[in-house]
Formats: sequence, C-alpha cells, structure tokens
Amino acid sequence: MSASTKSFRGTAAVLPAVVLVVLVVGGGLGTVVLQSLGLMPLVGTPELSGGAYSALGGDLWRSVGLTLSIAIVSTALATVIGLAVALTALSGGRAALVAAGVTVTVPHLIGAAAMALLLADSGMLPRILGMTDGGWPELIGGKWWIAVVLEYAWKESAFVAVVVAGTLATRVAAFDETAATLGAGRWARLRLVTLPLARPALIASAAIAFAYTVGSYEVARILGRPYPEPLSVMAIRLFTSIDLETRPQAAAAATVATALTVVVAAVALRYLRRSAAWK
Amino acid sequence: MTIAASAGLLLTACAAPDSEAPIAEAQSWSEIEQQAQGQTVSLWMYGGDEQGNAYVDDVLTPAAAEEGVTLRRVPVESTTDAVTRILSERQAGVTDGEVDLVWVNGANFGTGKQAGAWLCGWTQNLPNMELTDPEDPLLLDDFGTPVDNCESPWHKAQFTLVYNAAAIPDPPTTFDGVLDWARANPGRFTYPAPPDFTGSVFLREALINASGGVDEVPARFDQDSYDRLTPALFDRLNELAPSLWREGTTYPQSSSELDALYAGGQVDMTMTYGPATLPKLVADGTFPPETRVLTLDEGTVGNASFLAIPSTSGKSAAAQVVANLALSPEQQLAKATPDVWGQFTVLDLDQLTPESRAQFEALPSSTVLPSYEELSANAHPELSADWVSPLDEGWRRSVLAGQ
Repeated sequence: MSASTKSFRGTAAVLPAVVLVVLVVGGGLGTVVLQSLGLMPLVGTPELSGGAYSALGGDLWRSVGLTLSIAIVSTALATVIGLAVALTALSGGRAALVAAGVTVTVPHLIGAAAMALLLADSGMLPRILGMTDGGWPELIGGKWWIAVVLEYAWKESAFVAVVVAGTLATRVAAFDETAATLGAGRWARLRLVTLPLARPALIASAAIAFAYTVGSYEVARILGRPYPEPLSVMAIRLFTSIDLETRPQAAAAATVATALTVVVAAVALRYLRRSAAWK
Repeated sequence: MTIAASAGLLLTACAAPDSEAPIAEAQSWSEIEQQAQGQTVSLWMYGGDEQGNAYVDDVLTPAAAEEGVTLRRVPVESTTDAVTRILSERQAGVTDGEVDLVWVNGANFGTGKQAGAWLCGWTQNLPNMELTDPEDPLLLDDFGTPVDNCESPWHKAQFTLVYNAAAIPDPPTTFDGVLDWARANPGRFTYPAPPDFTGSVFLREALINASGGVDEVPARFDQDSYDRLTPALFDRLNELAPSLWREGTTYPQSSSELDALYAGGQVDMTMTYGPATLPKLVADGTFPPETRVLTLDEGTVGNASFLAIPSTSGKSAAAQVVANLALSPEQQLAKATPDVWGQFTVLDLDQLTPESRAQFEALPSSTVLPSYEELSANAHPELSADWVSPLDEGWRRSVLAGQ
C-alpha cells in the first residue's frame, strides 16, 4: 500500500468529525471575526473597519500580556508538577495519581469557589492562622493573580499527570528494562528513555491546558481583579454590556484570544510531528 | 374576544411594526373583568429570586384564581429575554403572543417602549391606581423614561448604605460625611467596580453629590452635561481611592464580593439596592449583629419596578386584572412582609383606610431595617439608563485604570 492511499483512507475515516468541527467551530469563529470587523453590526450598516480593535486600544495589549502571562506560568507549573506525579506513579507511588484522577473530575467553577473560600482575606486559611486583621497576602484579587495561577496549576497538573501516566504505562517498562540491562543508570534512563517517550503526551496535554487557560472565564472572574482583565473576561464584560455598541469590541477580544490559542496549537503540533515517539 | 380582535386589527394595520405603542381600548372596568374570566395570563419574570417566585406561586396566583384568572409564572434568566421575545412576535405580527405580563423596569422598559412593545394607556383605569400618589416621581418616570400609563407599579427599591455599628458608633449622616469617614478610616470602605449593578448605582449617587444635588444632573443624558459634571466626580473618587480597601488599587468585582468583605470584617460598610434582605442576613449570622442601615439626610436613589402588558398579548383584559390585583392593599401588604418577599409597597399610605394603613405600619420592624418611609426620605428617582454606560466606562478609564 502506497503512502498516498494510506493517507487518503485516514482522511476519509476522520472526514465526518472534521466536517462537523469545521461547521460548528468555523461558523462560530467566522461570526465572531465578522462581528469584530464591523461586518455584522447589531445596529447600523455593515462596514469593514478595525474600529473595534482600536477602540480597545492599550487595554487590549494589556489584556493580551496578562492572558499570556497567566497561561504561560500556570501551564509551566502544571507541566512540571504533572510530569512529577506521573513519574512517581510509574515507580509505584499510586496515591498522587489517584488524587490527580479525582482532581480532574472537579469542575473549574467549583475549584475556583473552593480557592476563594480558602484563600480570601477572611477565608479559611487566614482564619486558621489568625491573620484576618491584615498581614494576609493579596492572593485573591491581588496584583499577581496568584490564586488564579494556583487554581489552573492545580487542576491542569492533574490533567497532565493522568494523560502522561496513561501513555507511559503501556510502553515505558519494556524500554526501561532494556536500557537497564544495557547498563544505563537511573538518570540516563530518565533522560534517554522516559522523557522522550513522555514528550508527545506532555506537549499535547500542555497545549490543551494552555488553550483552556486562555479561553477560560470563570476562574479569572472569581479570583481575579477588575483591571487589567484577561481577554475572556474582557470579552464577556463587553458582550453583556447594556451598550450594544460594544458588541464588536467583545468580538475583537474573543478573536484575539482565539488567535493566541491557534498559534500555540500550531506550534505544539509542529513539535509533536518532530518527536520520534509520535511516528 | 373584542380586545383580541381589535388588537389584531391594530397589528395587521401596521404589519411592519412601527414604534407606535398600541393604546388599550377604552372600556369600563366591569367589562374588562368580564372579559378576563377564564383567561390564562403568562407572567414572565426574572426567575432568580426564590422569595419572589414563592410569593407569586403561593399568594398572587391563588388570589388571581379567585378573580377567575389563571396565572402562569414563566421564569426567565433575564428580563431582556422577555423583551426580545415580544419584539420578535411583534415583527411576525403575532396578536396572541406567549407573554401577557412582564416584571420590568429601567432599560428594558425604555427599550421596549421605543419599539412599541408595550400596551399603553391602561393603568389609569385600574381601580387600585387611586391608592398611589399621582405625584410620586418614582412612579411617573422609570429611569428617565416617562411611564405614560404603559406599566403599572408593583414595588419599590431603595439604594441603601449599610454599616457595622460596632465599628462605627457615630455614623455619618450625609454622603460627603461617608467619604470623610472613609478618609479618616483608611482601608475600611470600598465600593464594587461598575458595571456591577450596585457599584453603578453608587457611582450615580456620587455623581449627584459631586454635582451639588439631584437637580443639578439632568435626568436625560447629554454629552455636554457629562463633560461638564464628570471631571469633578472622577477627581473626587481618585482622591478618595488611597483611603479605600487595598489603597484603592483594586475594587471588589461585584456586590457579593463587597458583602463578603463586610461579612468577614475587612470593611465596615457595604451597600445594597435590596435592603429587605438585611434582617435575614443578620439573623443567620452572615452579617455582624450590629449591622444597621445608614440613612442619608439628602436621601438616596430609589426606583420602582412595574408590571407591563406586551402589545402582542391577546389577554390584556386578564393581565389588567392581575396588575390591579397586585396593587391591592392585601397583596402589597403580603408582599411587603419580610418573611414573604419584603418588597416595599408602591401605595401611598395616606390614601388607605385606617385599618390597612395600620397593617402596613405594623409590619414587623427590625432593629436592622428602618421603615420604608424613613429609608426613602428624600428619595430621588434614577437617572436615565443612557447615563449608565458612559459613567461606567468613564469610571473605568479615569479611576480604575488610572491607578
């Protein structure tokens, strides 16, 4: 069988799913992009303009910076912690992985509310520590978005751990033993066997976590502060405004957020293609 | 039947909906009552208020049944859904639409009125309208939109500042006094960031005070007034900011966040447009036991909410019967009872029989919440809804982003 027939069969198999995704996602995205460019106004005549983008001005860049910062920091933490949990699971420590499995099932909304109850200025922790009269750091609604990053890092690390442990469990033992009989030490085995095998799952789950963080609304809304705001919060605030004129601006914020995730997904796919274990 | 037919004629006459509001046909009240017999009225109302739902289901609906009208409550997530529905029915030329009555006020009423969504010219015929004060500004203007007999009053709300008497033994009595107190007690006061509903009201209250009183701010929005009045307001709030919670570098994102700060003792004041809930919050220990309402000499913003009949309803007779019933002293009293819903009456106590008046005055008072009369002393009506967005946006740029 030639490579081209093979790829044609593969394409045919996934076609129904692709068509559905293109219709739903493409339709939604198309609408949003058109709205952001002034081509689908609620009031008035359609007219191509970048007015929605420029109306947001410096706030848009501030929001892009904030969104990326939150996503990068939380994804990095989630990846490192998730990988560590997966590796401990492989060497027999199941408890952390069970905890991760349970964590994955908690909705972000509940997670954020729990964080709020725990870390707010008069939350559980400062009460237990007797620090409700000041001295408690501004974790919630503070300048550094700490509670938001913690929530994402906690939830996404569980997701990363489950995905990575799942892919490693089936393959790593045989390779690992082979390497060991060839005289590879622990560190060498981790560097030359385990990590390369884990890399695709790690990249894929990190990309998914990153995309989720960029698009997520509720965590930033519950644990964040009103200014500057992540793109998703900005989009929803403008979309629900009683001033209908701000709809295109809401669409502009949503378009920028989507562009960010598309770029990250593309980069992740490139790396996946290049990694040996993927092929 | 005739009303449905005439409404039908009226609507086919204007198949492309113009913004002319249909006027209810002139009939005697007894004719309306007769027509209403056996009709089912769908009341579309915001469904997120448990007490409100319970009042309508357990008190108002049985009373309507006695009048021969079946009342069906349709919960909606936001009143805008009802208005959207009516407007699309209107475009389609529907004359017996899904919506017969809507709990509405403010921007939703104004938007609908512009588009001819409401039946007008009927409230003056309700017998119980005589029990309201014809001069009451809160009932004549709904957030700057003239009511014009297009909706009948249902209850009133009052913007209220709330404080912890244990922390503030000698509370201020004016709005300026509150700001002075905030400056003298750094970190113990803040307000929710608009566009939060409550934060937005606080901002309008601050505008009225910074401008030198309610008469200085035109109720209808115009850019010149905005440019003239807001610099002083934003300067004032910027100057106040360092004395606020977290030095004013940030603000609570919602009134519930501010309530949580107040409940946790982080700040000594909070604010609400629904003070009727306060006694319960104190009783269940959420708020400090010494929680009291802060009445201001110059009064605060108040508003009324209403029942409106869509121009696409084919059962306007029955809807009028329900609106009239909702205005009756018995229903207003039941609704004002804190355990039931705790909503302030729109009736003028001077117009009531001595017995009814006594019943209203005997409503369980609480140490937390003064009577509505005290609460609403010098109440001023809301500015038009057109003020809200520019003010919120201006505050965002000048105060929030200026930090």
